[in-house]
Amino acid sequence: MPYHTFKCSEMLPDREKHAVIKGPGEDITSALPLGNLNTVPGTITERGCAYCGAKHVIGTPMKDVIHMSHGPMGCTYDTWQTKRYISDNDNFQLKYTFATDMKEKHVVFGAEKMLKQNIHEAFDAFPEINRMTLYQTCASALIGDDMDAIAKQIMKERPGVDIFVCNAPGFGGTSQTGGHHKINIAWINNKVGTVEPEIKSKYTINYVGDYNIQGDCEIMTDYFNRMGIQVISMFTGNGSYDDLRAMHRADLNVLECARSAEYICNELRTRYGTPRLDIDGFGFDLLAESLMKVAMFFGDDCVEKAKAIIDEEVARWKPELDWYAKRLKGKKICLWPGGSKLWHWAHVIEEEMGVKVVSVYSKFGHQGDFEKGIARCSEGALAIDDPNELEALEAMEMLKPDCILTGMRPGEVAKKIRIPYLNIHAYHNGPYKGFEGWVRLARDLYNAIYSPVMNLAAIDISKDDFETGKGFMTRTMLSDPGVPREELHTENMYTGKMDIVTHLRGKEYDFPAPEPKADAAV
Amino acid sequence: MSCEVKSKERAGIINPMVTCQPAGAQYASIGIEDCTAIVHGGQGCVMFVRLLFSQHLNENFDIASSSLHEDAAVLGAVHRVEGAVDVLLERYPHVKVVPIITTCSTEIIGDDVEGVVRKLKKGLLATKYADREVHLIPVHTPSFKGSQTSGYDAAVTAFVKHFATKTEECNGKLNLITGWVDPGDVKELKHLLKMMDVDATVLFEIENFDSPLMPDKSAVSHGNTTIEDMQGTANAIGTIALNKYEGGKAAEYLRDKFEIPTIIGPTPIGIRNTDTFLKNISKLTGKPIPEALVRERGKAVDALQDLAHMFFADKKVAIYGHPDLAIGLAEFCLDLSMKPVLLLIGDENPNYAKDPRLLAIKEHAEFDMEVITNADLWELEDRIKNRGLEVDLILGHSKGRFIPIDNNIPMVRVGFPVYDRAGYYRHPKVGYNGAVWLAEEMANVLFTDMEYKKDREWILAMW
Repeated sequence: MPYHTFKCSEMLPDREKHAVIKGPGEDITSALPLGNLNTVPGTITERGCAYCGAKHVIGTPMKDVIHMSHGPMGCTYDTWQTKRYISDNDNFQLKYTFATDMKEKHVVFGAEKMLKQNIHEAFDAFPEINRMTLYQTCASALIGDDMDAIAKQIMKERPGVDIFVCNAPGFGGTSQTGGHHKINIAWINNKVGTVEPEIKSKYTINYVGDYNIQGDCEIMTDYFNRMGIQVISMFTGNGSYDDLRAMHRADLNVLECARSAEYICNELRTRYGTPRLDIDGFGFDLLAESLMKVAMFFGDDCVEKAKAIIDEEVARWKPELDWYAKRLKGKKICLWPGGSKLWHWAHVIEEEMGVKVVSVYSKFGHQGDFEKGIARCSEGALAIDDPNELEALEAMEMLKPDCILTGMRPGEVAKKIRIPYLNIHAYHNGPYKGFEGWVRLARDLYNAIYSPVMNLAAIDISKDDFETGKGFMTRTMLSDPGVPREELHTENMYTGKMDIVTHLRGKEYDFPAPEPKADAAV
Repeated sequence: MSCEVKSKERAGIINPMVTCQPAGAQYASIGIEDCTAIVHGGQGCVMFVRLLFSQHLNENFDIASSSLHEDAAVLGAVHRVEGAVDVLLERYPHVKVVPIITTCSTEIIGDDVEGVVRKLKKGLLATKYADREVHLIPVHTPSFKGSQTSGYDAAVTAFVKHFATKTEECNGKLNLITGWVDPGDVKELKHLLKMMDVDATVLFEIENFDSPLMPDKSAVSHGNTTIEDMQGTANAIGTIALNKYEGGKAAEYLRDKFEIPTIIGPTPIGIRNTDTFLKNISKLTGKPIPEALVRERGKAVDALQDLAHMFFADKKVAIYGHPDLAIGLAEFCLDLSMKPVLLLIGDENPNYAKDPRLLAIKEHAEFDMEVITNADLWELEDRIKNRGLEVDLILGHSKGRFIPIDNNIPMVRVGFPVYDRAGYYRHPKVGYNGAVWLAEEMANVLFTDMEYKKDREWILAMW
């Protein structure tokens, strides 16, 4: 059996089938960990709750909305300002968060009246915003407040206002994933189909499952727009509430993070017949393939434009990607994200950057994610579902990776055993999507692995016979020891700007004219 | 001139300035050696609080969850605590202290934590872990009451009540209950105690929250207050609790139960409060204040004198944060001839309006001042954006960072959490060195602001 038992978890029968090592010649039929099951309490899991999956991951990237949580202030406070999902609306969604401040008296006597007052106060404070998302928390779920009824009352009292209610309390599922599911379904049930979009192009899509981390979504929509495709809505990065109510009108759903957003695509297919196309915005080959897939769905003119974009971008950025790939070759990394990046990145990062993915893990992935991820992994990779602190440490000791791609706090754990980390959730210096973005990831990986500072950390000045008289080390002294300066070709190190997103805002695009609707005359 | 203490008028919160009780209990628990808490509730109550600690301290801290899922929320979840205790003890052989921290969900469903602790003591601890010292300590911190401040207070009290054990002899030590502070503060407090030649039990000994990156990979960030330290608190020569609202209750307990001479407050922010702190140490221990501290104080006063009437006088300041911190900072600002025109405290406590420090400010402030309790950050932003409040400086934590950014107001990050400035946890805010650090930070952000705005930036050309 390929199941891997961690020494630290030998005593936990419930953890037996949550880790596998992909053996020689094995495929996913012989190696698949369990996923999306209840957490073993006390393991020091890295999982979050369903509320954060709904409100923090999927809801809050919407940029023109008052995001209000009905409960004590902690849920709101703790999840606020812990992600880097930016928007072109002056980051309203990052700057403002709302909590109803449930106190003991509300728990005893009910909090609906107070909720109502809260909603009015929030709209009064921000008269320019007339959309709201309202999130249940553990406390409001357990006392049984009818948030839907209150939202309906307010919408009657304040015409022009629209409120979305999401009932995903923290305990509602194994992890964040419970909340992803609930908010997807609540949105399609209650909001999709309530707004008719302005159709500007012959080709329309929803871009789904991208949360605009450091501008990812804006990079991708720029490509689509340049291909003549109108992006009706973004679910939900840089997304607009009313655009997302018009999702039913798109010709195609282009899906990125299937873990968090496949539910809505599947529902759109069932209810409106909109096809779903899964793509990868990461990696040169996968991205090129993805843009071509989207283009081919629409037509030859679109394909030509996509080809032109790909040719131009690859020519511009490939030499720089290769410069880093040459130096990253053979370096071992652990790919430890929340969910979808384990399969988005598993093989493309190996193929295009030369690194070896020695482990993948997922905090809230399902078996399907491991199916995709492990299929894309190479032999020997260790896959872990719902990892905990000790297992992650044991894995790092066993695999001796050169860099961990994970979140901030686990990154601090790795630091102490002298392994640098890259933030795979919020990114270091992203965006990482797009051709240039992929080079930025290679650059950040290189900078992490060949950091002269981490190099210093290994020296024990009390014992080691270390070299003296050296005032500094450069990254290339570490990555290319002894190579003469003129042979380094440092002109191929990343040459892009620090901010590659802002300049895209307000850009004008030409769209092929939409075909007149068949029912236009009626 | 008036100083009004009033509660926020709105029902809800726009941009919260505090989090809930369990976070405070978690911050206290990581100060104890061989201690890993179990938070009884949803996983987010732990995951995000651990992230907050990481954001502030750039380190990892281990805290476990009972991982409440839907079935447990409906049918009761004490069995999740039983499971969590066993798994935690078995996999972490060094763990001796396990606070069980409740949350809103498990308080609402009414889980009997005391009951499950009794059951575990008779069962699991008496059998499987019979040879091991294990302390299970319920800490009740429903999120719909109080805030991180009262949660911290509740946890310190629960720990002291659990451990403090009277023995025959006085141990000659002073109990120092610090309240919610940074590693840099504890370092400074220990420095002052050393200068006073006083042996103290520090609750909590968190200097090692700032831990090194070692060649042998050995270091982890954790507090170092031991079980013996806490047991000994009942035999101390005295107790000083620096923060009335974060640890004050534990000090009162030790006073009432073991008749330990006790002084609560003041938060030693600024010169005067540090003077009082040292005098209080002297009172309780009989040790004199040494000449070396007179010199240290002199250097600090010298540094402040260079800045106060030139740069600080009449500058209007808005302050938000933990109650003791915010009040201490306001007192310090007054000493520097500044005008703390707005003070925001994030929770409600009937004692705030009666706090003698606020009453004194009320009596003597030469300007109009507002103190808002149960406040959110919108109380500050709304006044600045929509109601004409003009301030020259903001003192507060990082969650309010967009207020200075969007309104072009200089700000010194102080309090918890600070994640948009490097290394602030390392610096003291208390003691003479803390006074110097705070004053120079304030001066330097004001200077940077003058240069950025080209507002009499030439003044500094010859200063």
